Amino acid sequence: MSLLSITGLAAGYGPLEVLHGFDLEVNQGEIVVILGANGAGKTTTMRAVSGMIPRRGRVEFDGQDISTASPDSIVRLGIAQVPQGRGTFADLTVEDNMMAGAYVRRDDVQADLERWFEVFPRLRERRTQRAGSLSGGEQQMLAIARALMSRPRLLLCDEPSLGLAPLITQELFGVLQKLNAEEGLSILLVEQNANLALKVAHRVYLLETGNVVSTGSAAELAADDSIRKAYLGS
Amino acid sequence: MERLLQYIFDGLSLGSIYALLALGLVVVFRGTGHLNFAQGEMAMICTFFTWQFHAWGLPLVVSVLLGMVAGFALGAGVEVSLIRRVAKKSEAGVFVVSIAMFLGFNSLAGMIWGNLPPEEMPSLFPDEPDDFVKIFGAVWRYEYIGIMVVALLLMGLLFLLFARTKFGLAMRAVASNPESARLVGIPTGLVLASSWGIAAAMGALSGAMVGGLAGELTSLLMFTPFIYASASATLGGFDSPGGAVIAGLAIGVGEQLAAGYAPGWIGQELRLGVALVTIFVVLLFKPSGLFGSAKVERV
Repeated sequence: MSLLSITGLAAGYGPLEVLHGFDLEVNQGEIVVILGANGAGKTTTMRAVSGMIPRRGRVEFDGQDISTASPDSIVRLGIAQVPQGRGTFADLTVEDNMMAGAYVRRDDVQADLERWFEVFPRLRERRTQRAGSLSGGEQQMLAIARALMSRPRLLLCDEPSLGLAPLITQELFGVLQKLNAEEGLSILLVEQNANLALKVAHRVYLLETGNVVSTGSAAELAADDSIRKAYLGS
Repeated sequence: MERLLQYIFDGLSLGSIYALLALGLVVVFRGTGHLNFAQGEMAMICTFFTWQFHAWGLPLVVSVLLGMVAGFALGAGVEVSLIRRVAKKSEAGVFVVSIAMFLGFNSLAGMIWGNLPPEEMPSLFPDEPDDFVKIFGAVWRYEYIGIMVVALLLMGLLFLLFARTKFGLAMRAVASNPESARLVGIPTGLVLASSWGIAAAMGALSGAMVGGLAGELTSLLMFTPFIYASASATLGGFDSPGGAVIAGLAIGVGEQLAAGYAPGWIGQELRLGVALVTIFVVLLFKPSGLFGSAKVERV
């Protein structure tokens, strides 16, 4: 069953239209990757799904129309975003960052805090430090942990690998894959690094200048000659 | 020695009012990144509300509380109806709007309550000539003590709100990164409106205390205190609540010392100079203020 269902999504900034009306689906328990070059509209797609910018077309989450919903009600429904460039609260402590991530929740969040400190032990070591003093990799972990604090059913990750050492990227993707496999967390991931993306994805959408030009399973796209040439460099 | 102690006492009391107003400036600045030039005039209008409630026969304390409620509504209303809309179009526009509000509120007060003769404003605290206590020979009036206690108490409550509550966390998150605050589901509009509301409510309380000290109420009531408050916020750093409080107290004492020890031929007018020179020097040598943070981020 499809958890997120997008039809005819068009969005942009002021008079500039970036997305020209494409369809996209994320099924329950899937990792879906949006692959595309700079300026293809990947981040705009994420912002449109999160309700951060005005959009046209239909966006449904778990059967509910969220095309005109506000960002806070979308988080409440169970979609959390890890924004591009991490977007941590630089002058707040690590712990406060995570507590802010749980803002929409009314129940006790201490257990979740402990849980993500187990998954990311480095965050526990730095829990009283300001987020701005963390390394890039640690900030990315924090951004992911913060998003998970809201207990999302769908996690949007906007280029988590950006500017990180390969080893750290691998570690992060390992965590995401584990969450997906063990708890059925659905993930919509934006990537420029196609090698990495095709490894973790169940399905892939190829985005070019605001339109989906190709879609299929990760294996199908990896086998496609023209895609290999353009995105995998071989 | 007695004289010095006297100036320090008076300075701390007056300084706590400046601190309260400065804290209002900082709360707004941290939330929306704007300097609200109308903060003093909004406080003045609210003081007229307070006076009006009292004139209708309500007890003074109740009137002041109602004045603060009115202040909250005014501040939140201004943010929702004006600031938010203008800020979408142009940041410089907000500056112009806050200057316009400065003039507007001033004229409005004159229009409704009249400029002359001044209204009589009672004090919240005992203010008869013999209401004082002597400490090491210096006179500390009950009214001055009351002002300081109430101002510090309110500021303490505010710091608890910032540090210990979920709403305070939301305010800090919005100040730190508005975009991410929206992404984690914080209703940023509500937070910003509340920041303006809280600032205006604090202004209403400062206004009631300044009015009580002066004993009378005119539309010029908050003009000078606002300049001192601006100097305090500049000195402490516009994004540092703690800095605003410390700087407010320091400027209060500085003002009293300058006025007290100034040679006769300069006269009392030097007081205001303390504030203006402070603003000038801080902006020249340490624009982010003593406790403010120049934005640094590791990538």
